Amino acid sequence: MVQDYLEENPSNINEAEMVVAIPSYREAKLIGYPTTQAALGLKRYFAERKCVLINCDNNSDDGTKEAFFAADTEGVPRIYLSTPAGIRGKGNNFHNLFHKVLELGAKAVVVVDADLKSITPQWIKHLGEPLFNEFGYVAPLYVRHKYDGTITNSIAYPLTRALYGRRVRQPIGGDFGFSGEMARVFLASPTWTEAVRNFGIDIWMTTIAMNNNVPICQAYMGRPKIHKPKDPGADLGPMFSQVVGTIFDLMTQTTGYWMRVKWSRPTSIYGFGLGEVEMPPPVKVSEDKLAANFREGFQQWQGLWAQILPEDLNKKIGEIGGLPPDQFDFPTQLWAKTLYEFAVAYKEQTVDRQQLLVSLIPLYFGKTLSYVRKTARMSVQQAEEFIENECMVFEETKPYLLERWGA
Amino acid sequence: MAKILIVDDEEHIRFLYSEELTDEGYEVVTADSGFQLLERIAAEKPDLVILDIKMVDYNGLDLLQDIRNKYYDLPVILCTAYDTFKEDMKSIAADFYVIKSFDLTELKNKIKMALETSVPQKA
Repeated sequence: MVQDYLEENPSNINEAEMVVAIPSYREAKLIGYPTTQAALGLKRYFAERKCVLINCDNNSDDGTKEAFFAADTEGVPRIYLSTPAGIRGKGNNFHNLFHKVLELGAKAVVVVDADLKSITPQWIKHLGEPLFNEFGYVAPLYVRHKYDGTITNSIAYPLTRALYGRRVRQPIGGDFGFSGEMARVFLASPTWTEAVRNFGIDIWMTTIAMNNNVPICQAYMGRPKIHKPKDPGADLGPMFSQVVGTIFDLMTQTTGYWMRVKWSRPTSIYGFGLGEVEMPPPVKVSEDKLAANFREGFQQWQGLWAQILPEDLNKKIGEIGGLPPDQFDFPTQLWAKTLYEFAVAYKEQTVDRQQLLVSLIPLYFGKTLSYVRKTARMSVQQAEEFIENECMVFEETKPYLLERWGA
Repeated sequence: MAKILIVDDEEHIRFLYSEELTDEGYEVVTADSGFQLLERIAAEKPDLVILDIKMVDYNGLDLLQDIRNKYYDLPVILCTAYDTFKEDMKSIAADFYVIKSFDLTELKNKIKMALETSVPQKA
């Protein structure tokens, strides 16, 4: 195995049963808190096991490494790994982590985000314990504000569920558990792309776990995920293309699997009994920005959409583009068919793949605007039910995808 | 012929469901409480469980957790008179839920969907 990371291992740790990893890039201000909470979790719930904390970093220049080593871990040893200078990407951090996990011979790995503000020691317990009880992959289950995680709500969750038949509510939650054996599977996979080496890593891991029929459970975290929030109308960047591009790549690679899937199944849930559910803080959304982004994209990409979408769908997109702002609506079935058509065009490369992904962004903004308006008066729980109903539409519309894919 | 286990402490519900689902061609067995439910499932090997949420001595959502932990892919449909149970996140471990009604159309549709569901089994 080629080692392509820099390492600082002051305690000379060369074996561990349990690893808690914190991937990062420029998180000096925030990494201390999850590091301390993770250490408390290890001390409290895994005291009998050999444990280590690993920060997998992108050679941050803001003092992330120093902040990681400065955090109080009550004696839990630490390792710092980094990509070489100039190499970025969350997935590259995971690649290094998988190498290290195999080298250490770890049985269980928990990963938590470096910008977490709501992590408790119990998160480590809940993400880690199922790995010692027959589960190979653990996804987080937390209450999120209805406007937090909009790529998850409108694309990653409904698509993954309809395709692979497993209801994993947070497939790109950022906090996971996986077995040492899964680390071997991830590392050996021939499907590492540039997108996977970046923000595509989360959906890639979840999908590979599903495709390997690994027992998956969702761990209830008790507290909402509170981290650096993102306004879905403002911050998007390359993350969208990397996540959706990875979903489309995986669809092409796993066709034989998902075509056999009909409807979906729930997973086991682990970790209840934490008392009253804590509600997440509100997330502000700019409807004006969403509407403006949709309108601009509508002007810019109509020509490309006409090459991607069949005439009837393109006409419907044109109709919603012409709706007065106060009557704007993006029907869920139209959204599902649109995503399915983009996936087909991505596979067939009828247009440039990168352009295809970028041109999907304004449609996603339109769908998000529609979701925001429909759920404006809903509680978090009512919005959850709304999303569940949307997932059913994706599942009901799957025969359309099978037909269009060329089954 | 699929075998359905109905778990409900109300006799008239067990009777109604049994009659209607038997007429639909299912083999039906019943339990009047959650007592030794896992043992009952092991013995009966049902293809699907219809589970009442609020029974006198048992919480259906806790039973659902027990079932899901032992029988990863056994379809479970929750039945309830009220939909407030959805506030409890444990309910997402069910395949479907239905609100109790004398019109069983929705329940029959959900049973059909749950039995049709095809997802490759765990390793």
